[in-house]
Parts: sequence; structure tokens; C-alpha cells
Amino acid sequence: MGEKILMKGAEAIAEAAIKAGAMAFFGYPITPQNETPEYFSRRMPEVGRIFLQAESEVAAINMIYGAACTGTRVFASSSSPGISLMQEGFSYIANSNVPCVVANVMRGGPGLGDIAPAQGDYFQATKGGGHGDYHTIVIAPHTLQEEVDLVLKAFDLAEKYRIMVVLIVDGLLGQMMEPVEFKETVDVTKFKVPEWATVGQGDREDRIIITSLDLAPEGLEKMNLHLQEKYRKIEEQEVMVEEYRMDDAEYAITAFGTMARISKTTIELARSEGIKVGLIRPITVWPFPSKTIENRANQVKFFFDTELNAGQMIEDVKLALNGARPVYFYGKMGGIVPSAEEVLEEFKKHLGGQHE
Amino acid sequence: MSITTEKKIQWCPGCGNFGIYNAFKSVLEKNIDEGRLKKENIVILSGIGCYGYITNYYDINSFHATHGRIPPLATGIKLANPSLSVIAFVGDGDAYAEGMSHTIHAARRNTDIKLIVHDNGVYGLTTGQFTPTSPRGFKGRSTPFGNVENPINPITLMLVARATFVARGFCGDIKHLEYILERAIFHKGFSFVDILQPCVTFNDTYSFYRSRVYKLEDTDYRTDQYEKAILKSLEFDDRIPIGIFYEKEEESFEEAIRGTHNYFYERQVPDISEIVREMI
Ligand SMILES: Cc1ncc(C[n+]2csc(CCOP(=O)(O)OP(=O)(O)O)c2C)c(N)n1
Ligand code: SF4
Ligand SMILES: [Mg+2]
Repeated sequence: MGEKILMKGAEAIAEAAIKAGAMAFFGYPITPQNETPEYFSRRMPEVGRIFLQAESEVAAINMIYGAACTGTRVFASSSSPGISLMQEGFSYIANSNVPCVVANVMRGGPGLGDIAPAQGDYFQATKGGGHGDYHTIVIAPHTLQEEVDLVLKAFDLAEKYRIMVVLIVDGLLGQMMEPVEFKETVDVTKFKVPEWATVGQGDREDRIIITSLDLAPEGLEKMNLHLQEKYRKIEEQEVMVEEYRMDDAEYAITAFGTMARISKTTIELARSEGIKVGLIRPITVWPFPSKTIENRANQVKFFFDTELNAGQMIEDVKLALNGARPVYFYGKMGGIVPSAEEVLEEFKKHLGGQHE
Repeated sequence: MSITTEKKIQWCPGCGNFGIYNAFKSVLEKNIDEGRLKKENIVILSGIGCYGYITNYYDINSFHATHGRIPPLATGIKLANPSLSVIAFVGDGDAYAEGMSHTIHAARRNTDIKLIVHDNGVYGLTTGQFTPTSPRGFKGRSTPFGNVENPINPITLMLVARATFVARGFCGDIKHLEYILERAIFHKGFSFVDILQPCVTFNDTYSFYRSRVYKLEDTDYRTDQYEKAILKSLEFDDRIPIGIFYEKEEESFEEAIRGTHNYFYERQVPDISEIVREMI
């Protein structure tokens, strides 16, 4: 067990990846995540590992793809416009079944947008921003400690399922200073080369081919079925969700990341006024905690979804409820982050005078 | 006629972008006044970077677009409306990193677009990382132990890519820069100007360049010799040549496809004033 160290979010995520055994980092400058590559550029040489600033995000994701094919733990970070450029790589990586972890420090969009905190990339992250039928595991931490813990978990999941894991955060978490504890340091000398990795044939009998191509439709269907089978297994086994003050809740807020953090304060404010509201916070937004939401349908009067976008995760909440309860929405765009009080005020509009 | 806007210029005091801004401003104002350019026929573009704000500071129709994608965007504008003068500002990050392949393909295609590179050897807007023109050993935000990569030579690169106008300017010599920019703008085909631009905050190269630059125009150098231009471009050490390395009249892409695309270029562009009147 380590001690608690006061760290900035953008650096904590980098140190967490290093402690989790990331052997290489590839990136390209983009605000608001420049402190992350900067930290890697100092620390990776210290621990004898690789830091590379690529010529573009397209190059960076392909360096990740290449390194991942050798069974090496690799990490990248970028922000929304850069992540958009990486989507081709995401799709290829999915159908090549190689593991890696990428962080998206989301900023206001679309287009160049701004550099303020936003959650407008939810659709892109959870519905497959690249082409074809694929998913990445998508994790949305809401505190620095959780982020640090989940980086290690992300590598474990990536390797267990040979899949890309995406961490979605925003600049607020990146700029925040909080005490964090690094619970474990992975001993990289114990790493073994996985049997599927393209590392030179040696005395292996069959040669390894990593590809996302099969021109015969039956062959490609088989590849797809394999992916889908993997996704069903992940949906069954890897959902992470927090239910906060839901035991006696008459209303449920649904939110992830920064908005979940704000919603916790909203809930305290509401409860001090006697309004029994709780929070269902997806930690994995894919796989989505549909069952948890469905299970609360009979308990609460309505759901109130709040996000830093025009309403994206709300679609998954509605799918989970299948019309069983109303779902209201409050969102802010352009990088504006509402206060807990503003969220409460919006929430109260749906109470129909019961708690005025 | 003044082409300035009300917008407050936000570059750091002493930034090399001011020199480029002033040189371009006087070239445009002079040529608009003398009737050689029509303000309503000019479109300026910029990508993303400190320099990119330049399009805010001129009272000309402008397009502040995507990091790295300026050459294809300018190509699109020019081909859709060949009567426009399309002048694009780009950063070294834009032109030589994110969009390097676009820069090369625009050069060899010889579309009539003008590429003006604010080459400060650093990513300014993202606060100080090395770029493909930062020298080896450069200590920036992502190279605390010094850059270990070789820089590119943009002039040689563009010559080899068959650009038909290739020049280097220095923003510390505004008169000379005006001369280059004017020639670049009136060149028919693809023009490329790399401008040495100190970034006083992250890569202050003023004295480095000032003590090294000399003008090709002050020597007996000729701009019509391709192989000699390549050789000349390799000179970048104690002495750094600035000026026009190479210029050649060649058929532009638009001219080359005209024979097969007559319909497109000869179509009647509707008179917008008619439509507007109808709508009112
Ligand atoms: C796809 C994408 N990646 C990264 C960025 C972040 N970014 C903004 S400006 C810039 C580079 C600026 O460098 P340069 O072109 O040299 O211009 P300067 O700021 O030095 O004037 C970068 C990488 C972005 N906007 N879009
Ligand atoms: S950071 Fe550098 S390039 Fe950007 S405005 Fe300041 S001096 Fe100019
Ligand atoms: Mg630059």
C-alpha cells in the first residue's frame, strides 16, 4: 500500500499508467491534456521505457496498434479532435483483437469547439466511432482516486479480453489536484509474451498473423461472431456501476464522470430539503449498467439524466427502462459546467409542485 | 484602403507573427489600391495555432479551419471557384506534422494556392512542444532531455515535391518579406513560402537567425535552375539563405483538367442579387 500524494489529474493518470506497467506512450500535443504527455516525457526515460511524440494522432494510434500486436502494454492519450482522427485505428484494433488503453480528455465540440470540459463524445465512445460492428470497453471515472485505480483495471480488462479500453474524462478532472494513492506497482519484469503476439516465430510451430481482413464473407462473419461473443461476455461480467443513496430514493439521477460528481452534491442539497433522490452512476458506460437501471424502475417516480452534452447517455437510460418510467434531461453544451444548485433547480421543475 | 479589423491582436509582445502580419497587410493594401487584386476575390485560410488567429485580423473573407488540413481545404476552395485568390496561412505543426502529406501533394499537384508557413519550430498554441523543424537537442515541453529527432528541411522538401514557387522569408526583414509575398501571390500555380518566425515565449530564435540570414537577391543566384536550387536549399548552418529559391511557370492542375471539365468551369453561376430580390 502506498501513501497518499497530492497530484494533478493529468499527471496522476500518467503515473497510474506507468505503475500499471505501460511500456510505451504515444501521443500528439492537444489541449487540455498536454500535461499528460509532458509527464510521460520526463518519467518514461527514467524508468527505461518509451515516450514518443508522433507527427499526428493518426500516427500515434498506429504506433499503439503496432506495439499492441507485440503484446506490450501501451497507453495513449488525446482529446476529442485527436480521438476523432484515431477512429480508424480503433476499428482496426477491435477486429485485430489486440489490447491497449487510450484516454480521451473530452473538450467542447463539434469541430474545433473549445478546450473546456464536455461529454459530447459519449456517442462516439460507446457506439463505435469508427466503422463496423465493434465496441471498446469505456470507463468514466469521477474522482482522481477512481481514475488511478481504473487505469490498472483497464489494462487487466484489455488483456483479459484482447480489447481496447477507453477512459473518458474531461479537463476538469485533469486540472484538479487531489490526494491519490497508488495501490499497486506492476512488476514489468514478470511480463510474459502472450501466445498470440507477433514477436518473431522462434520455436513456435504456427506463424502468427494479426489482421482485421477476411475477404470471404463467411470468414468475416466468423470474425464478427467472435467479437460479438466476446462483447456479450463483457456485458455479463464487467459492468461497473455505483448506486449512491439509492436505498430509499424516490427519484434517480443518472450521470457519469464530472456530472456524476456534481450530482452527488445536488443530492445532498435535495435531501436537506427532504427530497429523496439518489444517483445511478455508470462507471463503465460500455458495457452499460442497464440491469441496475431497470431494477430501480419500480422504486422511483422518474429518472433525471444530466450530462455535459445535448443528451447522449439518456438514450441508453431510456433503452434500459423501455418506457417504464419518464426520463427527464438537463444538459449544458459548449464547455459550460453547471453548479450543483443549477442541477437541483432543473431537477425540481419535474416534481410537479410536490416539494415547492 | 486599410484591411485591418477592430479585433485586438493577441500574440505575445515581440512575437514574430507581427512581422508576417504587417508584411502581408502592406502587400495586400498596395495591390488592392493599385487594382491588381480585388478584395472581394480573395479568400484567406488558416489552420489551428497561435498564428491561426491572423485570419481574425484582416478584413477579408476568411476560413479558420482544421489543424493540418489547410492544403486540401484551399484546394477545394480554388477548384470550386477558380476565380478566387486563395491564400493560406499555416503553422509548422500544421504543414510539416499533422498535415505533412497534404503539403507534399498540394505541391506536386500545382493547384493555384499560396501556402505561407509561420515556421517557429515549435507548437506555440499547445505551449512549447517540438515540431518537425525544431533542431536536434531542442528542449521543449515534451523533450526535457533534448529532441533526438532530425529536423526536416522544408525548402528541399518542397523542391523535391515539384512546387513551382519555393521561397524562404524572415519576419525580421519585413521589406524583403513583402517582396517575397508579392511574388508568391502573383505566381501562377502552387506557391510555398516558409517564414522563419521566432516565438519569443517558447523558441526565441531572433538573434540566431539575425546573425545568419543573407538574401539570395544580393548574390548572383538565379531562380530558374532546379538542381542548383536543391543544392542551395541544403545550406542551413552558419549562413541561412532567404529569398526565392525557385520559380517556374507550369500548367496548373486547374488548367490541366479544363479540357475534360468544361461543363463545370463554364457553367452559369446564378446571379445572387436576383435570388435575393425574389426572396424579399
Ligand atoms: C487534430 C488536432 N490535433 C491537435 C490539435 C491541438 N493543436 C492546436 S494548435 C496545434 C499546433 C500549433 O502549432 P503550429 O501549427 O506550429 O502553430 P503555432 O501555434 O506554433 O503558431 C495543435 C497541435 C488540434 N487542434 N487538432
Ligand atoms: S507563444 Fe510564441 S508563437 Fe505564440 S503568440 Fe507567443 S510568441 Fe507568438
Ligand atoms: Mg509553430
